[in-house]
Amino acid sequence: MTAAPSTTDALELAGLMRRFGEVVALDDVSFRVAAGEMVGFVGPNGAGKTTAMRIVLGVLQADAGRVRWRGRDLDAETRRRFGYLPEERGLYPKMRVLDQLVYLARLHGLEREDARSQADRMIGLLGLADRARDRAESLSLGNQQRVQLAAALVHRPEVLVLDEPFSGLDPVGVDVLSEILRRQADDGAPVVFSSHQLELVERLCESVVMIDRGRIVASGRIADLRARDTRRLVRVEVAGAPDGWLDRVPGVRVIEPLTEGAIVELDGASESDVLDAARTAGSVRHFSVVRPSLSEIFRREVAR
Amino acid sequence: MTVRRRLWPIVARREFVERARDRGFQVSTAITLLLLTGVIVISAVFNRPTSFDLVVVGEGSGALGREVRAAADALGVEVIVREMADEAEARRAVDAGETDAALVDAALIVVRAEPPDQLVGLIQAVSVRERSRRALITAGLTPEEVDTALVQAPLPIDALEPVDARSRETATVVFVGVLLLYGQLFAYGYWVAAGVVEEKSSRVVEVLLATVRPSHLLRGKILGIGLLGLGQLLLIGLVGLFASAAVGTLEFPSGAVATIGLVLMWFVLGFFFYASLFAVAGSIVTRQEDLQTTMTPLTILILGSFFIGLSATSNPDSTLAAVASLLPFSSPLVMPTRIALGEAATWEVVASITISVGATAAVIPIATTIYSRALLRPGRVRIRQVLRARPA
Repeated sequence: MTAAPSTTDALELAGLMRRFGEVVALDDVSFRVAAGEMVGFVGPNGAGKTTAMRIVLGVLQADAGRVRWRGRDLDAETRRRFGYLPEERGLYPKMRVLDQLVYLARLHGLEREDARSQADRMIGLLGLADRARDRAESLSLGNQQRVQLAAALVHRPEVLVLDEPFSGLDPVGVDVLSEILRRQADDGAPVVFSSHQLELVERLCESVVMIDRGRIVASGRIADLRARDTRRLVRVEVAGAPDGWLDRVPGVRVIEPLTEGAIVELDGASESDVLDAARTAGSVRHFSVVRPSLSEIFRREVAR
Repeated sequence: MTVRRRLWPIVARREFVERARDRGFQVSTAITLLLLTGVIVISAVFNRPTSFDLVVVGEGSGALGREVRAAADALGVEVIVREMADEAEARRAVDAGETDAALVDAALIVVRAEPPDQLVGLIQAVSVRERSRRALITAGLTPEEVDTALVQAPLPIDALEPVDARSRETATVVFVGVLLLYGQLFAYGYWVAAGVVEEKSSRVVEVLLATVRPSHLLRGKILGIGLLGLGQLLLIGLVGLFASAAVGTLEFPSGAVATIGLVLMWFVLGFFFYASLFAVAGSIVTRQEDLQTTMTPLTILILGSFFIGLSATSNPDSTLAAVASLLPFSSPLVMPTRIALGEAATWEVVASITISVGATAAVIPIATTIYSRALLRPGRVRIRQVLRARPA
């Protein structure tokens, strides 16, 4: 981060509670996304990511807690300047792409001319120029996804809340979207998105929020989380080893199984103990001491 | 910077434009207008004033023919008289169907098969009068005395149940009006329901709800679609008026204009009531296939009201019609008829409109609540459960 954002220039979720019948979907969920910051919102399926995002956008009501932007509670007028990509994507199937974007931009408060030029701009940005007059239903799923993203961005949102924006995108699409989100953050928007692709989150975001069963289990700068994780990890890959050979090495716990080995935590054993055992088991293809990645941190937090 | 403004007009505009642009809508409007114009033209052809063609040939026939034409004029019947040179030619013309009858030598009527009663009756009456006249003159009376004796005013008619041409025409116009009202209320109500389901099933509703309140979404949808329905109805009314004027079917255009005005007004009254209910029917399902089921009560209500409305065009003073013209769900299809045919008392009209507006005002908030709460719920939603639940 180049400039330190002021404390109030942030999207803040404070003490959000929400139940669905007997199920506690959100339990005291609090975190903040500073202006210009890109935050990854991660957690297992059903952890409460979508519920939290829906509450931010006012699609759902919280039982308790508040959401603030620039220090003020959100109202409908403020939310209209947010950009939202819902988990369940949706477009008018029979409406033309350009018309949909103009319509949504208008609903977000843009004047007609402005809405029109912004829609044209987004269509160009996402490479949809030759499909602008087509009905949404005639587009491929990938292109529909692009239209959906354009819909979330068409009104120059102040804040971006995106639910699984990368799912369903090909690698090129991932790069295009990463670039767009990066630019939005650089322009000063707080950007929060949920994702199951933790490598992607690690690459794009400086900070992360982890949620599990409705509770925030970890949050902060990814670098800090990694530094705080003092586990000693080793990545070892061995060809031709018998099944479960690592389980028989004392003082070693498998964190993440790989095709020909695993990432293991050293719990009593030393690095050379593992290397010796690997040599005995077969032909060693890879051996390295690794820093815990976001995936490993996530696995540990969620397992607790 | 964005400007604070109401969103429902933007929603209404989309509903109006997208649907007006729909090819199916344009085709069905064109077909309706063609059908209407066709019916008007065809009925004009069949209702053309009676006209006969009479060929006269030989001595005395010409004079008699002129007398027949004069007598026919007095009765509002047109007789075109043509003279021909000889009887053979006249018979050929009758045989070829070129003329309705031939009068030969003022003494013989030639027809093809079935004698045209009115024409033959006229010729016989005129012929009897002319022969009587000649006989009386031969008997010594002066022509003046004969004319005085024979030329007499026709007997006046005292109809116990007179047919009022104006109310007959109004009944026809209002019959078409009820037919159209039924079609419009049902079709545009269905569009509201299908539009709600489309937004739910395509899940675009979540994108919308992030910026528009459900009540505004509903208001915009109903207004946009209703405006289109009103516009289409107005177009049909105007085309009908102009087509009728062009072929001269309408004797009382002011009555037709008033009836069209009534139909438009009751469309507005009925549409808001039904559209709110159709929106509920749409909001509690997620798939178009399930919509038929939830719409069934409304379908029955509209269809039943339509049948009462049809019976009211011939029986506007029946108890059934009187009661139905007061109930909010049937009044739009029954009351216009009773007003147009002059069967509704002023208090009934006032009561009917008051009840209709009141019922609509009561239905809209309930419908909005159900709609708002059901929008994000998947599958088939139970109304009772939604009403009991707290906001989403």
